[in-house]
Amino acid sequence: MLEISHIDVYYGDLQALWDVSLTIGDGEIVTLVGSNGAGKSTLMKTISGLLKVRAGYIDFDNIRLDRLPAHRIVELGISMVPEGRRLFPQMSVLENLEMGASINPARQKRHNTLTWIYDLFPILKERAKQMAGTLSGGEQQMLAIGRALMSQPKILLIDEMSLGLSPLLVQEFCRVIQGINKSRKLTVFLVEQDVQLALSMAHRGYVIENGRIVDQGDAKLLLSNPRIKEAYLGLEQENKTD
Amino acid sequence: METVLQTIANGILVGALYGLVALGLGLLMGVMKFLNIAHGTFIILGGYVSFWLFNLWGIDPFLSIPVVVIVMFLIGLVLYKLAFSPLLRLPTIGMRIDTSMLVTFGLIWVLDNAMTMLWTPDTRTIITTYTGETLKVFGTRFSITGLGGLGVAVLVALALYFILSRTYFGKHIRAATQDAEAASLCGINVNRVYSFSSGIAIALAGVAGVVIVSTYSINASGGLSWLLIAFVVMILAGEGNINAIIPAGVVFGLLEAGSVLVVGVPYRQAIALLVFIVVLIFKPQGLFAKKD
Repeated sequence: MLEISHIDVYYGDLQALWDVSLTIGDGEIVTLVGSNGAGKSTLMKTISGLLKVRAGYIDFDNIRLDRLPAHRIVELGISMVPEGRRLFPQMSVLENLEMGASINPARQKRHNTLTWIYDLFPILKERAKQMAGTLSGGEQQMLAIGRALMSQPKILLIDEMSLGLSPLLVQEFCRVIQGINKSRKLTVFLVEQDVQLALSMAHRGYVIENGRIVDQGDAKLLLSNPRIKEAYLGLEQENKTD
Repeated sequence: METVLQTIANGILVGALYGLVALGLGLLMGVMKFLNIAHGTFIILGGYVSFWLFNLWGIDPFLSIPVVVIVMFLIGLVLYKLAFSPLLRLPTIGMRIDTSMLVTFGLIWVLDNAMTMLWTPDTRTIITTYTGETLKVFGTRFSITGLGGLGVAVLVALALYFILSRTYFGKHIRAATQDAEAASLCGINVNRVYSFSSGIAIALAGVAGVVIVSTYSINASGGLSWLLIAFVVMILAGEGNINAIIPAGVVFGLLEAGSVLVVGVPYRQAIALLVFIVVLIFKPQGLFAKKD
């Protein structure tokens, strides 16, 4: 459904992505892994319309995305949980969730969606009146995911979900995301620095290095790929042959 | 005792107007990080609209407010399209503030001269049947036009508070203020939010102009002195703190009235500047800044 084809992306004069191609199918969990500064967030920002492509195109259900402003892309059904949550700190939890339902069909159904979000993260209901800036890190991530889901997206993009969270919380988020993917057929595109986590959660994976896709395929296969083990999982080649 | 009460009454009435004068400036600065140096000039323009409605058709200034709001709102939309929106492409917020000052500084000359050519440099004021009348409460006199101004300021501030805290559109304004990029990722059309905010800001300038032309007077190049007051009040309230602007205006009005009592009228503007400098040095986040 989402097809990224041979895109080049620049920050000013600085090229950040080189000839990147990637597809995400209906109902899949796809992940893009790579180290810091490899271009993961750049790709996310490009899909969601914050950055423009210089070459290539992005196509979603046969609609060209790469010339649309960010809010139009949300209307088409692509919603992003940005890196660093990016909540509205001086608005209440409830208001933040309402902002997630700014586009039209979602706004009409916002009461139902809200009930669902409160089921997923009951703590958000308790904190509904509290300012978002006063939440703990884990609660903020729940709110960020909840806000993105309020637009009732077809694809959920999550940029660095695990950053700054305890391993226990990360497990909890994985369970929730995989649950939504199964029960609601929600397509998920996950960008992660935690390669082990991302590949164990996803169906398929892509590996990005210095702005170029260098590897791709079934997530389980990537996880057992010796090159990836060595580069990202901190395992020595010898450990495996032992 | 009587002079003290009278001073307080005057301070509150003029302070409410000072708050009203600053609302539009504070809104643009808070939402878009645009410093509209021509804000005072738009106040004058709003005053002229009301003046001509009164002069040509005898429409009462306070009743002319809805018309002034609509005219000035539309001017605000055009202003956004032509002068403000190109600045959004600048890479940093700092550059946006700097350039908005330059652009609106140029706008002052254009508007000042246009208004002088169209309507002569004469000082204009609206004299109605109730101008100069006062209401006496416990020996303290309140001018009718001053009370009208206070009423308008309170109503406008309440309306703005209601819009920003209760309506979806107002929440979009607040979201875009706090994080424009995150707002666009929520599906909010930030460009539209900015354009309407500009309209509202210029309409607010117009409302202040109506009160000024019916309480005091206006002339084509009188915008700068009102800009100074708007600046001081905005700094007192704290940047981006829209709801504190009317209270900050009243505080400033009382300060000014009190000090006039002590040092005399000729130093009125010097006192405004002094308050401005003292606040910037000792409490640059404003007297009403929220604790984070």
